[in-house]
Amino acid sequence: MDFVQNFPCFSVILCLFAGILSSGLKDKAAMRVNTCLLGIVTLLSGATLLYTLQTGQSFVYVMGKFPAPWGNEIRAGVLEALTALFFCVIMLLSLLGGRHKLLEEVESGKTYLYYVLTDLLLSSLLALVYTNDMFTAYVFVEINTISACGLIMIRQNGRTIEAAVRYMIMSLLGSGLLLLGLCMLYDLTGHLLMSNMKESVARLAATGQYEIPLIVAIVLISVGICIKSALFPFHAWLPDAYGYSTVSSAAILSSLVSKGYIFLLIKIIYRVIGFDIYGDTRIIDVLFAFGLMGMIFGSLSAIKENDVRRMIAYSSVAQIGYIYMGFGMGTEAGMTASVFHILSHAATKSLLFIAAIGLTDVSGGSRKFIELTGAGYRNKWAGAAFTVGSLSMVGMPLFSGFISKLLFAQAAVQNHVKMLPALIVLGVSTILNAIYFMKTVIRIYTPVGYSAYPSITFVKMRVYAVTLVAFILLNVILGISSQPVVDMIRQGLAMFS
Amino acid sequence: MYLILLSIFVPMAAGLCLLILPEKNIVRARLLSAVSMAYLLTAVLVTAALTRCYDVSYTLFHLTASLPVCFHIDETGVLFAALTLIVLLCAGFFSFAYMKHEKKEKRYYGFYLIVFGVLNALCFAGNLITFYLFFEILTLTSMPLVLHNGSREAIMAGLKYLFYSLCGAYMALFGIYFIWKNSSTLAFTAGGVLHMTTGGNISGPNSLPGAAAGGNTAILLIAACACLLGFGVKAGMFPMHAWLPAAHPVAPAPASAALSAVIVKAGVLAVVRVVYYIFGPDFLRGSWVQTAWLTLTLLTVFMGSMLAYREPVLKKRLAYSTVSQLSYILFGLAVMNVTAVTGGLLHVLAHGFIKAVLFLVAGAIICTTGRTRVEELRGIGKEMPLTMWCYTIASLGLIGIPPTGGFISKWYLAIGSLQSNTPAFAGAGPVFRWLGPVVLLVSALLTAGYLLPLTIHGFLPGADYDYAHLQKREPSPWMTVPIVILTALSVLLGLFPNLLTDRIMGFVSTLM
Amino acid sequence: MGPNLFINYGEAVAMLLFGIGFGNLLLQSNLIKKIIGLNIMDTAVYLFLAEKGYIAGRVAPIVSDGVQDMEAYINPIPSGLVLTGIVVSVSVSALMLALTIRLYRRYHTLDLDEISRQLKKEGL
Repeated sequence: MDFVQNFPCFSVILCLFAGILSSGLKDKAAMRVNTCLLGIVTLLSGATLLYTLQTGQSFVYVMGKFPAPWGNEIRAGVLEALTALFFCVIMLLSLLGGRHKLLEEVESGKTYLYYVLTDLLLSSLLALVYTNDMFTAYVFVEINTISACGLIMIRQNGRTIEAAVRYMIMSLLGSGLLLLGLCMLYDLTGHLLMSNMKESVARLAATGQYEIPLIVAIVLISVGICIKSALFPFHAWLPDAYGYSTVSSAAILSSLVSKGYIFLLIKIIYRVIGFDIYGDTRIIDVLFAFGLMGMIFGSLSAIKENDVRRMIAYSSVAQIGYIYMGFGMGTEAGMTASVFHILSHAATKSLLFIAAIGLTDVSGGSRKFIELTGAGYRNKWAGAAFTVGSLSMVGMPLFSGFISKLLFAQAAVQNHVKMLPALIVLGVSTILNAIYFMKTVIRIYTPVGYSAYPSITFVKMRVYAVTLVAFILLNVILGISSQPVVDMIRQGLAMFS
Repeated sequence: MYLILLSIFVPMAAGLCLLILPEKNIVRARLLSAVSMAYLLTAVLVTAALTRCYDVSYTLFHLTASLPVCFHIDETGVLFAALTLIVLLCAGFFSFAYMKHEKKEKRYYGFYLIVFGVLNALCFAGNLITFYLFFEILTLTSMPLVLHNGSREAIMAGLKYLFYSLCGAYMALFGIYFIWKNSSTLAFTAGGVLHMTTGGNISGPNSLPGAAAGGNTAILLIAACACLLGFGVKAGMFPMHAWLPAAHPVAPAPASAALSAVIVKAGVLAVVRVVYYIFGPDFLRGSWVQTAWLTLTLLTVFMGSMLAYREPVLKKRLAYSTVSQLSYILFGLAVMNVTAVTGGLLHVLAHGFIKAVLFLVAGAIICTTGRTRVEELRGIGKEMPLTMWCYTIASLGLIGIPPTGGFISKWYLAIGSLQSNTPAFAGAGPVFRWLGPVVLLVSALLTAGYLLPLTIHGFLPGADYDYAHLQKREPSPWMTVPIVILTALSVLLGLFPNLLTDRIMGFVSTLM
Repeated sequence: MGPNLFINYGEAVAMLLFGIGFGNLLLQSNLIKKIIGLNIMDTAVYLFLAEKGYIAGRVAPIVSDGVQDMEAYINPIPSGLVLTGIVVSVSVSALMLALTIRLYRRYHTLDLDEISRQLKKEGL
């Protein structure tokens, strides 16, 4: 066994330990530990990615000396390593970009708690990505929920606490359903390791025994995860949570937390239930329908918003709808498109949040559009970054959004029944996206004669500007040279099951 | 071949530098000299590219495995690039004098240069995806020119332009997608890239499984229609022309000239590429798409002229005139025989020069007198004789009176339409054969009706004009010289057309 | 299906309790009642798991009297899962209660709708 195979396990455990360690440190030290940790884990994930690309197959890592089916396992392939790498990079950039706001908004002396929470969040995300065991997945889903709740309410004002409560309620509803479905599936198959469960499920589906309980279990698991990842119509908590929390929380939540759950769902579809059996249950039709509705309603709600951060949050609802639409196609191409959109959306949405905070900072802290007029001139970097993010969302060629839309269209064409609604809604939602994003871009670049607010120069916000540039580069790289990434995703999905 | 890249990216880089440079400490003279150098450099590069890189293909990079971004100069590209170069240079120098009383000049020149680069890229694009990419960029970068003066009206107009263009681009993307699925390459090839099997059915390497033999054709026709409507938004075809009369009056006059003369021609270029280089005229001839297209263009010709006739604001009148004249070109393209297409392409050149003159004159009038409505402009001919003479000559060209360039193009259009039902040129239905020339004639009369009153009242204001307060207000040479050059070109086009017409007819027949 | 429901009455009761807990968590406006609903819901799942682990005629999976034969004990895994689940349930209940205290201190009400109304008035 190569040393590299230890890396996934190391990453998770390192994050947990860093979290525990940071709980005893002061603010600055905790921040440094956090940044180091993220750097190390990025390197580890990158190494794992290279290793899996080289060997061309995924490897199974047994935790402890207990072999399957009694022990716990981690499995890493190209897709997992790529996702883990991406998550680490996005988290690092989000934390860097939101650092100055964190120091402003959270009382000093309490900032180390934030870094404890992010370490735990990272550990749970990595565990969700790598795990091969269902119950471990559930436990880390709960750790994810709790850390995310902490991230929302670290900034103490009435809105965030209420948002955190609403978030917890919806999340716990989802967890409850997930747990129940999980227990039923354990009951039916007798295993907790995903690979063993898959064989059992295949056998059950072939003989037709326990058909209804199997379908019920699958439905419960799917609905549970859908509630947790804010698919329409379970998205009510999203605008408050993303809109009012501190900006790096918003970026991390929108890009990573919901995507972690979606990744878990993909894993369950491929590795526990089996792609074909899942398609037979017709749940994907329901996911498809809700995805389409989410795309439309998310965009419509965004158009009505008067607050820039809530507008971006509603845009997240629409983008999650895109991902579920890709699921709903029920083909390999649809899944590839969804996974690419996970990566692309993570990069773009965090960029938008971090850029938006720069714009509101130079408008006296107000987020209302009327105050943001001309903000693009006062903070040039944030304005440029916001423009890049918007263009990517709208689907301008050269940016990652265009490639995701292209992949979705390609996937749609392969499925005769769903092709027309998918293409039509794709077009309509693109136009709706253009409406609210382009309106905002024009507004921030409309010059105001006399500005009550001061401008910001580069010297004052070096880290912030560098983060924005990194985000823009990431977006453009995904847009221009997307082919290697798409190939990696395809390869990863092939070796996923 | 690096000349191609340089001629595209040098103006874009120059424009970007101008935009990024901080606002204060800019001496106007230095700014203007920097901009002129940029113009001249671009002109040199483009000319060099056109002469030395003719028929050279160059792939920049691959967007995905099967979608390269590549450039290729062919005859059509040469035609449009030459038009772009001449008009943008003239309007550029005109704006030195015009923009003196507008604020934020630097931003204007920055975006102007970027648009210049993007237009070059459009002319040189070698395949449909490169073209689409730069088409989108064109919309985004020309929008700041529209909303330049920042008034509420300008912003609304800019937004309208943006949304119409984006909707059009997405409709076109829809069509492009289906083309991609049914052809092996998206590169522009004379005569089309769709696979034609014997029996005239379309089949492609990625045909939808299980589709009936005629099924692909139906989808491709719908895709063609989507592309035409989508790119027709930029070219101001009914019913998506509403952005033109909103955007032109609010933009600064040289920007309006660039918009009307060149940027909308990007839409025309798109239609030419899609119909003649991707679908191939054989595919579309005789189909319902062609009939619908002909109807829309004729409707636009008539409607544009009517609306122009009734419009009191001068720049808006000229905008409606653009709507109408562009559909002349689209009509010629829709008839799909050699003569008509030649007429259309000649009109691209003629209309480009003429409309630029008209808008620059309108700009000169606004600059010196501040008046925008036609009825206020009595006696203007006495105040600015040189300018108004150019206006008159250009108007005559637009109406179609020999020996101006406009006459030649309209002649070819009419002949082409009349020829359209002979067996050698089978195409549009019998109705269009005579309906086309009739509408063109009526529209010519209306054109006279909306362009000539300014001339007549300008030079012959009548007995009640206040001659005592007349003052000669010829605008500065920065303004008059470009106007005179463009007028001269439009007349030369009419006096010595053969060189150009023969060349155009030559390559158009390769497209059929 | 009817007779099965009576034979497996434990699971049926668990499902019923789950429904009650879920409904309370979702629909009640009082925060404490929501948390109680959450606990009922989670406890119901543990009841379900415990029922599933039970095999009639066998004892708890702790080696006693030296009997090491697998056949003498019930399935030990669900018990482990329930233990883990209880820990999770306790942590989230604690978190929710802490949030409730914070909200109460600020707004002096336990009613979530009332809190939303007050927030709208605050206009944050």
